Amino acid sequence: MELQVNGKLTFAATGGKEFDSSLPTVLFIHGSGMDHRAWALQTRWFAFHGYSVLAPDFPGHSLSEGDAIESIEAMGVWLDDFLSAAGVEKAHVVGHSQGFLSALELAHNHPEKVLSLTGIGTAAAIPVNPALIETAEVVPAKAADMMLQWGFGPAAQYGISAVPGMQPIAIGRQIMANNPLAVDLKACANYEAGAAIAEKLDVPSCLILAGKDRMTPLKAGKALGVALKAQITVLPEFGHMLPVEAPKQSLQALRAFISSL
Amino acid sequence: MSRSSYLQADTIALHSGYQPESDHGSRAVPIYQTTSYVFDDVSQASSLFNVEQGGHIYSRMTNPTVAVLEQRIAALEGGSGAICTASGMSALYMTFTTLCSAGDHIISSAQIYGSTATLLSHTLKRFGISCTFVAINDQDAIKAAIQDNTKIVFCESIGNPGLEVSDLDAICATAHEAGLPVVIDATFATPSLNRPIEHGVNIVVHSVTKWMGGHGVAVGGVVVDGGNFDWKASGRFPELTEPYAPFHGIKFWDEFGPSAVAMRMRAESMRDLGAAMSPNSAFLLLQGIETLSLRMKQHVANAHELMNWLLEQENVSWVNHPDLETNKTHDVATRLFPKGAGSMVCFGVEGGRDAGAAFIDALQLGSNLANVGDSRTLVLHPGSTTHSRLTPEQMAAGGISEDMIRVSVGIEDIKDIKADFANGLRAAKRAAGAS
Repeated sequence: MELQVNGKLTFAATGGKEFDSSLPTVLFIHGSGMDHRAWALQTRWFAFHGYSVLAPDFPGHSLSEGDAIESIEAMGVWLDDFLSAAGVEKAHVVGHSQGFLSALELAHNHPEKVLSLTGIGTAAAIPVNPALIETAEVVPAKAADMMLQWGFGPAAQYGISAVPGMQPIAIGRQIMANNPLAVDLKACANYEAGAAIAEKLDVPSCLILAGKDRMTPLKAGKALGVALKAQITVLPEFGHMLPVEAPKQSLQALRAFISSL
Repeated sequence: MSRSSYLQADTIALHSGYQPESDHGSRAVPIYQTTSYVFDDVSQASSLFNVEQGGHIYSRMTNPTVAVLEQRIAALEGGSGAICTASGMSALYMTFTTLCSAGDHIISSAQIYGSTATLLSHTLKRFGISCTFVAINDQDAIKAAIQDNTKIVFCESIGNPGLEVSDLDAICATAHEAGLPVVIDATFATPSLNRPIEHGVNIVVHSVTKWMGGHGVAVGGVVVDGGNFDWKASGRFPELTEPYAPFHGIKFWDEFGPSAVAMRMRAESMRDLGAAMSPNSAFLLLQGIETLSLRMKQHVANAHELMNWLLEQENVSWVNHPDLETNKTHDVATRLFPKGAGSMVCFGVEGGRDAGAAFIDALQLGSNLANVGDSRTLVLHPGSTTHSRLTPEQMAAGGISEDMIRVSVGIEDIKDIKADFANGLRAAKRAAGAS
């Protein structure tokens, strides 16, 4: 659906069903350079099983207008504005990678709006190599290649796809190369408040982590899990791009957690 | 490396899309010779039908063996996804009917395969889709042909059988400026010699029956979604940007973005038209693709040696191959095909049609048949076979003459090919003398 947030047209996927704010809402937040399509195989299940789903594109990303947001803190503020614009008072919040950092900010600013918090392929801080940021500023497609080569696990690198006939690396590359990747990466690199916020939060939490994650290594993810007192699921054979490369397993862990609340 | 994989092309050809399965460790891709797939439970069945998860329902839509071939070809071409079909012609038909509806218009190169020309000028016309044929490297002609209802610019990477190389960079620039995608039949090129998506092409179609398979034992086609066209910004494709009623009002572009075309084809064309590739054919075609680059090197080397040898023969009146300076698109071929512009060679023999017929009938090694791209050398007289349904004007526009002999140069030892052709040329000379 399309809605106005701070005067800008914003797109949010609703999982193939009309958004209904009277149902429990699950908010899906994409990672650096990505968009709502990262959640294609999670959102539809929730939308068809008693939830309402919102998977927005951040400003300046894919189908949303506006300038890209330059800090994780400001992304957290924008998420609150977005929920208000959609008429949502409370939501289960799910974030992938950088998306989870902004989810932390939302939970920190408005704990009353967060029913639960789930991080997928993430950590309390996501340092970014300055060379990657410089590349993203000059040749976004090359930076996307660098990230996807690191981001996808071994099976995806060999062309294995959860959706018959598709090539997730090419899909991710096309999306990331056309979005403000450098701005997102800088926001990630500059964000340092994650660990302290995680320590203070008191919200049901879950982390779904990848054993072969080279972007947010498992060790860092587990440390975040300790701080959050989160339920942790590790998918040992996959890489950082869990929502895309292991959609079925990610969904299974996610629905088990949210359904249990 | 392609846009879909960080492996090199030869590794992709052997490995992409399949890792040894866990139950038996089969190193080769198994043939899943099944029509359908048992659901875990009703809930999972419902999830599959709602596209809540990926997976297989019925082999008309998807099949695990076919999916390996699709993912492998997508990776070779650098596309976001691929759909395999029963034949190259069904791949083209599905492409045209996915992107066009009644009242729409296509711009096509005049120099294309005869059956494709018939599809565009007659069959699709019955369904209200019109076509304007142009000299595809004439950018002004393309611009002049664009109408409000134009949806596609279509060409072959190397025209059949005129062997004119399409200037993909220029064609894409012209088409994209007008908000039009470029669809290409890249059968004569294969991703081993040229990757059209890297030049801006948006949809790549192959008859995988030909060089991709190489063995001549299985018919098949594929459509590769380049994932590199903004269907919404174009404003010409409600098929992809507006709600699709049979799937809960899904908007393919919003939902799938770079794989919108492939997903629409899967959801609509494979379901409704049913031109599915069989798992056994997919397995056979995978065997061919494993050696694609090795074969293409030999195909090109043999084609170069044969064309140069033909030029020296006294009763050969003309020889055409894009790598010859006399080919009018030689410069384009040099730029787009640094490894060589394929293995199709056309030539004429003195004495016209009768001499040409005598040449073909005298061959022992070269096979007279209606196919190209086998590992074996194949010959044909297009004017009386593949392009016989064309009007004289269409034949001329397609670069086809009465005396044309089309050769798909195989990978046999070139000495044997030349010996066979020498025998044929002697027969042609006798026929020319007798007439």
